[in-house]
Amino acid sequence: MSNETAGNLSVTAVPLISEVKERQMANEMSESPVFAVKDLSVKYGEFRAVRDVTLDIGEHQITAFIGPSGCGKTTVLRCLNRMNDFIDSAKVEGLVEYHGVDLYNSEVNPNEVRRRIGMVFQKPNPFPKSIFDNVAYGPRLVGGISKSDLNDLVEQSLRRAALWDEVKDRLKASALGLSGGQQQRLCIARCIAVQPDVILMDEPCSALDPIATARIEDLMQEIKKDYTIIIVTHNMQQAARVSDRTAFFTTEVNTESDRRTGVMVEFDLTQKIFSVPSDERTESYVTGRFG
Amino acid sequence: MNRLAHDELLELRSELLRITASLVESIPRATQILLDQDLEGAEYQILADDEIDSRTLDLEDRCVALMALHAPVASELRHAVTIMKMSADIERSADLVVNICKVARRIHGIQLDPKMRGLIGRMGTQAQILFRHAIQAYADLDLPMAKAVDDMDLFLDYLHRQFIESIFESHSAGTIDLAVAIQMAVTARFYERIGDHAVNVAHFVRYLITGEIPPAGDHRRGGRLGEADAEVEGLVQ
Repeated sequence: MSNETAGNLSVTAVPLISEVKERQMANEMSESPVFAVKDLSVKYGEFRAVRDVTLDIGEHQITAFIGPSGCGKTTVLRCLNRMNDFIDSAKVEGLVEYHGVDLYNSEVNPNEVRRRIGMVFQKPNPFPKSIFDNVAYGPRLVGGISKSDLNDLVEQSLRRAALWDEVKDRLKASALGLSGGQQQRLCIARCIAVQPDVILMDEPCSALDPIATARIEDLMQEIKKDYTIIIVTHNMQQAARVSDRTAFFTTEVNTESDRRTGVMVEFDLTQKIFSVPSDERTESYVTGRFG
Repeated sequence: MNRLAHDELLELRSELLRITASLVESIPRATQILLDQDLEGAEYQILADDEIDSRTLDLEDRCVALMALHAPVASELRHAVTIMKMSADIERSADLVVNICKVARRIHGIQLDPKMRGLIGRMGTQAQILFRHAIQAYADLDLPMAKAVDDMDLFLDYLHRQFIESIFESHSAGTIDLAVAIQMAVTARFYERIGDHAVNVAHFVRYLITGEIPPAGDHRRGGRLGEADAEVEGLVQ
């Protein structure tokens, strides 16, 4: 009888230890970060959108970028898979290393970058195709995959995106018939289908209701063991709920030109940012005393 | 948090300060009730505790509502947590004040020797000093003052041991009945506990300011107690 009690006690102790471990893991920045960003500045023409950003993104962590509008968080996110290449006036300065490789080196193929570093956008943007074709789009583009392997890959991707059970009987139906939350999970499935290493999320839940948002947040926790996730969000509570680390950005006004430039103020464990931030500007922003 | 929620947090702070002020006033009153064996005062003080109970309960309810509805973060989160924790220590301390008044009833009609009376008075004063400093540190967000409360508690602990020794002396000299000796020993314990609650309050003031909770009993670790005792004795003699 006493043995049984001892057994029960040790069972309750296990999750506690694993929780501590998990916290320690989040505490330690991995020795070789997925991204090492150094002195990153982005200009749109003469206008400097964001300056001097330096941060490391750890593997299998969820990193959140928060800050007011115009603070440069989306601009920095878009630098991580060279999405700013599509904006002619954009000029990226500084170093963005991905697994030790300079992403902006002229020998680097931007398409390969975007296959490895996928992106999910604010507004769900499924192609006007069937659910199946949406997920199969990327793998077909890459090519060299048999029909049965493609079927497996689509199923696997939809399962990972927690959408399979809802759509398995209507894979041929148009993706546009799905609800907003389903469409966003479809976009995540489409992103996963090309087997990326990193998923960038730009306000992925701002167009969704709280239940769909909670599903996406659960999904992020489930897939973070396989991917590194970076999320830009206006919703501070979302950053607090989902991320391991948080970077807070704000804007600085140039007194001469009266233009705003984004700067990164603080980058730390999310728990620290929301309980004991080091910078007064972070404190003001997270408590809502901003502006 | 929005402005209304922020105002509510400030209101909770004021209410906590008001409740603590009445606790701080009640400590010397209880000591006087005990020394004078004032039955009427004891009755009043015991009934007054109901009010502190209901006010701390209300304070905690409002604090939970604030956390549930407005999700405070950073310093506001630490403040809400601090209020919840301090409220419990204040409520318990008020109960200890009641216990002291109950001792006045139990030993009614029994003369205490002057040395014991003197020590009771000094313990009461020291317990009040501790609580007054802890709450002043909260009101002013004064970190050095919050840290000083730990050392003030060492003096109260010293008085506690002195008191226990004098009870033994009186008992072996046959000037005090065993039942009374026990009542006196628990009374000393009540003051000592009030001091410990004041230390908790001061620790949460430190948490509010720095974000770090000092480990419980930190100031008593590592054999420093003996050293502190010697220090305090040097001062007293």
